[in-house]
Amino acid sequence: MKSTDLYQGKHHKWLVFGRDQGKSEKIIDTNQYMIVTSQQTMLLDPGGIELFSAMLAGILSHTELEKVTTLFASHQDPDIISSLGLWDKTIPNAKLYAPWLWEGFIRHFGMDNIEYKAIPDEGQELRLDSVTFRFIPAHFLHSSGNFHVYDPEAKILMSGDIGAALEEPDAPMFVEDFASHADKMRYFHQRWMPSNSAKKNWIARVRELDIEMMAPQHGRIFKGEAVQEFLEWFDNLEVGIVNS
Amino acid sequence: MDSVKKHPEIKCFVTVATIVAQLEVILTEAKSLSLTSKNARVVAIRAGEAALGFKSITNFINEFSSRTIQTTEHINLHAGQLFKLALNHLRASQLEQHLAKSLSLCDHAQSRALYVKAASDVKDVMVSLKHELQNLQWQFEEIEQQMRAAEYIAVTSRVEASQAGEFCASLESVSDYISSAAMRIKGAIETNLNTLDELERVFK
Repeated sequence: MKSTDLYQGKHHKWLVFGRDQGKSEKIIDTNQYMIVTSQQTMLLDPGGIELFSAMLAGILSHTELEKVTTLFASHQDPDIISSLGLWDKTIPNAKLYAPWLWEGFIRHFGMDNIEYKAIPDEGQELRLDSVTFRFIPAHFLHSSGNFHVYDPEAKILMSGDIGAALEEPDAPMFVEDFASHADKMRYFHQRWMPSNSAKKNWIARVRELDIEMMAPQHGRIFKGEAVQEFLEWFDNLEVGIVNS
Repeated sequence: MDSVKKHPEIKCFVTVATIVAQLEVILTEAKSLSLTSKNARVVAIRAGEAALGFKSITNFINEFSSRTIQTTEHINLHAGQLFKLALNHLRASQLEQHLAKSLSLCDHAQSRALYVKAASDVKDVMVSLKHELQNLQWQFEEIEQQMRAAEYIAVTSRVEASQAGEFCASLESVSDYISSAAMRIKGAIETNLNTLDELERVFK
């Protein structure tokens, strides 16, 4: 599993794990994010069960398991969190922050030790050591209960399935040319996101944030100008379309 | 079959599910036996002196059918625990496999420690599972014993029925029913014991 440093600040750093060479062809490539503060580590959308071994090996290269105190699941899908039952046995003192709406479903992945911290619909703040993060609502954009993570200090928005692209597992980690990348995102957004009004609502909310980097769970990460290009493109895209 | 040998934890779910399905057969038969004994008792009372011997036999029928129902319900409760253990075993085995793979990717002290603990957890769950399965085997053998008694009762009741005059035919049909119900219960138990044997072989 390839790991890339996204941000190194005074108080914390961001890493992304992805482009797993060992993954089966039939499963979608995913990005897993890790935030390391002075004493704690948070895994964001830690991934599917088949990625667990590679993720564990990757994490241990950067931190100790005792420091993995927090998990975040943007929504309920298996590629996001089906590894939960294995993390539950590996990091037994952690908390899982996930939408309240999905608690009864996510627990089916197996959860005896990890504590479920249900995020209310309006979102909330989370503090890890001296760093404060915000859970930003993105309901009905791919999933009916859905959150993103915003880090005001690093100016990173982990945007779950928004900005996701379906492409080859060896694709670059960052968007290099937005115009050519847009084609890889179109079908995913039109088919997996059902509501134009939810989309407008999310765009308005996100435009108020200061974002340097937008980091989706599939595909490439948007940096600088590409973030605004994405928001513009998404604003003009009609979603909730079948057979497009 | 190869996949079953490779993943005995999956076989365990199938075994428990098969057992639960067969328990339903045993329970239904035992309940019918209990009802039959009550009906036979009424017939025996009506037959009076001629069926005195049969009357006392109905008490035995009622007694062993109640015992069979009780044991079966107990096994049913146990099945829930067995499913839980099978699930724990599946998850522990999965974790062990994933940790082994992780260790091959990165030989880290924490990975090694986790793997050792996971392997030990798998063994512990396996011990509990084997213990539960052994208990189950004993409970089925107990029911099997009760069914042997039922076969004796069927023979005795046939003799008593033959002396019950005009009630002879209806009491004989009771004897036949006891005999056939005992056979069906024994069949279900045999299926379960074979399933348990099969599982034991997979675990070896």
